[in-house]
Amino acid sequence: MQSIRRRRFLKVSLSAAALPAAAGAQDAAAPKTSKVVVVHGKNIAKMLEAGIAKLGGWGAFIKPGAKVALKPNVAWNSTPEQGGNTHPDLVKACVLAAQSKGASSIAIPENTCHPEKATFKASGVEAALKGTKARLYRPAKEDYRPVDIPKGKITKSAHVPADILDCDCLINMPVAKHHAATTLTLSMKNWMGAVPNADRQGWHRNGLPQCIADFATFIKPKLTIIDATRILLTKGPQGPGDLDHPDEIILSTDPVAADAYAATLFKKKPFDIEYIRLAHEMGVGCGDLSHVQIERVEA
Amino acid sequence: MSALFNRRNLLRLVVAAAFAVLALGVLPDAWSPWRVLLPSLSPLLSLGGALAARAAGPLALLGLPLLVLPLFKGRFFCWRLCPMGFLAELVGRLNPRGAGRVKRVPHVGKGLALVIAGSAAAGYPLLIWTDPLCIFNGFFAAWKLPFAWAASATTVGFVSILALSLFVPNVWCHRLCPLGGLQESLAQFADRLRARRSASAPAPVNLRVGRRPFLVFLGGVAAAGLDRALGRRVRAAAPVIRPPGAAPAFNALCARCGNCVNACPYGLIVPDLGVTGIEGLFTPVLKFRSRNAEQEQFCFQDCNACARVCPTGAIRRLPIEEKRQIAIGLARVDKKACIAWEKGEYCVVCQEFCPYQAIAVVEQKGVKCPIVDASKCRGCGACESQCPAQPIAIVVESRVPQVRLQAPPP
Repeated sequence: MQSIRRRRFLKVSLSAAALPAAAGAQDAAAPKTSKVVVVHGKNIAKMLEAGIAKLGGWGAFIKPGAKVALKPNVAWNSTPEQGGNTHPDLVKACVLAAQSKGASSIAIPENTCHPEKATFKASGVEAALKGTKARLYRPAKEDYRPVDIPKGKITKSAHVPADILDCDCLINMPVAKHHAATTLTLSMKNWMGAVPNADRQGWHRNGLPQCIADFATFIKPKLTIIDATRILLTKGPQGPGDLDHPDEIILSTDPVAADAYAATLFKKKPFDIEYIRLAHEMGVGCGDLSHVQIERVEA
Repeated sequence: MSALFNRRNLLRLVVAAAFAVLALGVLPDAWSPWRVLLPSLSPLLSLGGALAARAAGPLALLGLPLLVLPLFKGRFFCWRLCPMGFLAELVGRLNPRGAGRVKRVPHVGKGLALVIAGSAAAGYPLLIWTDPLCIFNGFFAAWKLPFAWAASATTVGFVSILALSLFVPNVWCHRLCPLGGLQESLAQFADRLRARRSASAPAPVNLRVGRRPFLVFLGGVAAAGLDRALGRRVRAAAPVIRPPGAAPAFNALCARCGNCVNACPYGLIVPDLGVTGIEGLFTPVLKFRSRNAEQEQFCFQDCNACARVCPTGAIRRLPIEEKRQIAIGLARVDKKACIAWEKGEYCVVCQEFCPYQAIAVVEQKGVKCPIVDASKCRGCGACESQCPAQPIAIVVESRVPQVRLQAPPP
């Protein structure tokens, strides 16, 4: 009896000791270079500039003449204060920066959840883009192109706006918020607003977190900027619900790392968000914050 | 036969073209309120509707000119402006051999007008869809992209009038048209009035309303009561979803002018083809998921386009805030088809999309499963339009009558 217990004790403690080592080995495969810049402040335009400066300046992302595609979250017929959409000031600041860096075109395709006319207006994004060369639109059938997702486990193909496929610089610009099904909407979830309804309904049907992670293996934004100036804690993704005001924007070239950090604003462990864990395991990026360099900036 | 190309016909052509373009709904949104103009010009629709609904809005005033004009100018409107009459006359010209046939047809139009007036007075207008302005409007309103066969139902009246006019030229304007009949009666009444006033009248002029018209009017009142009673069972059983703000006597008040079908930005409204019985034929009902799923297919909380183009008040002009309180239907979850309930996988897209936060969830084996909160569900169909399950696991069912909910929208 005694000996069995001892043996079991040894077994258990040994495997417990081995676990972190194994996890470490797994992490070694993931890129260690991930860096997340977290800018705290009140003036969104200034915050964006300060954050970009920490990532090497706009020049690292947008070359003169580049075709830029932006994917904010402008899905719902709700006001900027309600936190259902990316803040219009952030979209505008990014568009103005791209213009000043000589972008030849700035496309903002968004497959809204509410009728686009009302949504673009209520979100404040349409008004914010007035006078800029950015084109905010809802893709029609002919604007999409089918693509293969070779690394996808469930989602092997999808339809993506040609403007996103053909651009030189793709920037993902989601808002961080609560989500009924996936717990949180962050950057990787935001791509659901770039595919047609038929695709996203299919994802819902076939295991949403895996489908989000599958798509993340395909889509490669040069930059992820998460709007966490105000975050919806309940009743997401549409809202209105309870709000918190972290007054932060989160910038990274690694979408998984950016999402992992953003999850902590909701007091969640990154790997409790299933699509973050899956994307990490599939090598999309690093969701383990102990291996991510987090740089904080005040602006 | 008078010449075809003259100033009179040019004016009629311009009027017809203008109203056709309005009804087609191809003009920018700012023009949308003008779509009520043509149907509302007919007192049978605007005043009859107001009388029946016991609620006169500013629209009712639009019906006044055609009550007054005939007293002085006879059927000026018919021969100079009416777009339906113009087209019917043109078609009649194609058949010169049929010219005399109209004389053998009785004056149905006057009787029609009396029945409409009588039944409207009884609160349940019958046959207002025989109005020519609404028939003209209904034809052009039906041509909406993407084309749908069901939406083209309101072209039937227009096609019938033209077909009839080809066989019996001028029969519509001279014998059948209720709006023409009304104006003719008014003009005759004014003539007799004038004749009595003029000193040179050869004989005393009889001003009494004849017994027969009076009986027809009373017949309209009686028919309204009868129809209302008979139709009650059909109406109660008809599982349809009406546009938000639909009046209780909907089948009666609706002129089938096609405006709401055309105006709905989401293509939800279609003419009913029999579910509501003969009496409700071609009245508008909402059909969710009727077209391609890439467009929103639900009654959007910030839209009241259908109410703004209704000429009779069949769809009451609710302000947006009030429209958001009206429940036109009630969503029901089919647990057998639901991804969460049946497969145990997480989904709740219905909850994501519900604009009224009317989807509550219960946990079943750690998975959120949707249930509908009837005190909040407006039946807008947002859930149905986005449900990824196959077959769709949440569908809106009719709520008759529509109810005004107390729960404020979020």
